[in-house]
Amino acid sequence: MNPYGPVALYLCVAFAAALLFSVLPGLVARRKPNPEKAEAYECGVEPTSAVAGRFPVRFYLIAMLFVIFDVEAASFYPWAVQMHALRIYGLLEMIVFIIVLGIGYAYVWKKGGFAWR
Amino acid sequence: MILNPFGTADWMAIAPIVALAIASLLVLLADLVARPAISRYGAVAIGLLGTAAAAVLAAMQYGHVYAAFFGGFVTGGFTTVFEEIVAIALAGSLALYATLGDPKRIGGTVALMLWGSCGAMLMAGAANLMTIFLGLELLSLALYCLCGMVDRRGARESALKYLILSSTASGFLLFGMALLFGASGSVLLADLARPQLAANPLFWMGSGLFLIGLAFKMSLVPFHAWAPDVYEGAPLPVTAYMSVATKAATLAVFARVLYAALPAGTASHVMLPVWIVAGISMIAGNVGMLAQHDLKRLLAYSGIAQVGYILTAMAGGSALGLRYAIYYLVAYTFMNLGAFAVATAISGEHEEGARLVSYAGLARRRPWLAAAMTFFMLALAGMPPTAGFLGKILILATSADSGYAWLGGLLVAGTAISLYAYAKVVRAMYLPQSGDHHVADLRPIAPLAWISVTLCLIGVIAMTFYPLTPSNVLPLLR
Repeated sequence: MNPYGPVALYLCVAFAAALLFSVLPGLVARRKPNPEKAEAYECGVEPTSAVAGRFPVRFYLIAMLFVIFDVEAASFYPWAVQMHALRIYGLLEMIVFIIVLGIGYAYVWKKGGFAWR
Repeated sequence: MILNPFGTADWMAIAPIVALAIASLLVLLADLVARPAISRYGAVAIGLLGTAAAAVLAAMQYGHVYAAFFGGFVTGGFTTVFEEIVAIALAGSLALYATLGDPKRIGGTVALMLWGSCGAMLMAGAANLMTIFLGLELLSLALYCLCGMVDRRGARESALKYLILSSTASGFLLFGMALLFGASGSVLLADLARPQLAANPLFWMGSGLFLIGLAFKMSLVPFHAWAPDVYEGAPLPVTAYMSVATKAATLAVFARVLYAALPAGTASHVMLPVWIVAGISMIAGNVGMLAQHDLKRLLAYSGIAQVGYILTAMAGGSALGLRYAIYYLVAYTFMNLGAFAVATAISGEHEEGARLVSYAGLARRRPWLAAAMTFFMLALAGMPPTAGFLGKILILATSADSGYAWLGGLLVAGTAISLYAYAKVVRAMYLPQSGDHHVADLRPIAPLAWISVTLCLIGVIAMTFYPLTPSNVLPLLR
């Protein structure tokens, strides 16, 4: 069998399932609307405010910086696992990486990227 | 270096890129410690030193073949040539930035330009799919930010447009790479040249998607609509940088795929859509120029057509074609940077000299600048005494020789159309128009911009008399 056969099969099943689940409710579901059901679902709790609320732009900046540094910190894990195999070369590579990261961190800090104003 | 398990070749190979990366970190550090703030000239000086170091290191690699990172990055003549083109583009746009930069964003902008060039140089030597993508994204990410690096509505629009459209193109490219990897089982470009791939439908689909991604980055016609808008909104030095460095880096990748990564006999079929698209670009780009009233938009459309010319040279896949393509690309680099340098020289602090009306009467106010601009426009149009003419003649010869005379014909037609558009700039400068005495000279004399203009002039003229076409590029490509 072609090695891509299973992929094609998987693709067909995925499409069929998605199609089935989106068409089936329209065919067999009973419709009994009430105001509760029409509301936005929020973890089973009654919604307290409009969904389209306003966020401060700062939030996005902080969130973005968090993601960047978080992902960079996450790249320490594979190195830590392989540290003994990579030996001194891996250590030096990591030191270079930390220096680059540190300069970026200092730059963001100095430029007020972490200040909530 | 002794500590490196991969051998010193890896370090030697990426030395120019490392020099640029270190320079960009130094700019950021200088920006941090400087009181009150780093000046434009300080940041640009560090950047230019880094660029010079990178250029020297790249030149020293000429003829030395290092296959670094398990074959992912290859040096030699081909890589060196494209790295030097990137270095020229970087140096030129840094010099323009020193004249025109936004004082609040010096450090970040210069650092981003240097990082973007790291990506472009990585693309120049990339010999596997992952290195290509890494370099492309490094370049593109830097450019997304650079496009928005000025307080102007158009700049934000430009950055957003470029981000969304370019990411879509990256998606195509990546999908194509995934299929190519699926077909060949290897990320190395050299492994794509195996003959049994020619019968594999995955290879054809993959290379099609891959080429769509590249065509977008080169702004060939069905994928060109972003270029004028993005160029118009971006700061002038960034536009100058984009118009040269992005094209050079993408052309380097394209040339390597064309010459070193296709199964024998498939090139004319795989690449046929590209040649057709290049032919359309030469016509549509030049027609698009006719309606423009902004130098940046005009040069964006011009760039669309110029890429078509360069691709025409490569169309036959001959060694000579690659030589002429490189010759024309280098000449284009100088002509285009020169035109942007003139635009910078007539810019004011808050007003970029990009609109064609600000050229009215320039011949009277600044005769030398007007003469230089005329020369660059003639060169871009491919008129006789310039390198542009020589390049086009060589391209015509090689396209006819390799059986793509129809592309040569489209080149001639496109050139004829473009003459009118380039002449519009010249006419604005020389012919007295109603009300041109109202246009004041916006800025006394900007030394760095004038030096850039002069250097670009020298470059174009030198290219005419000493056609520098590195002869041993092709053997070093693989």
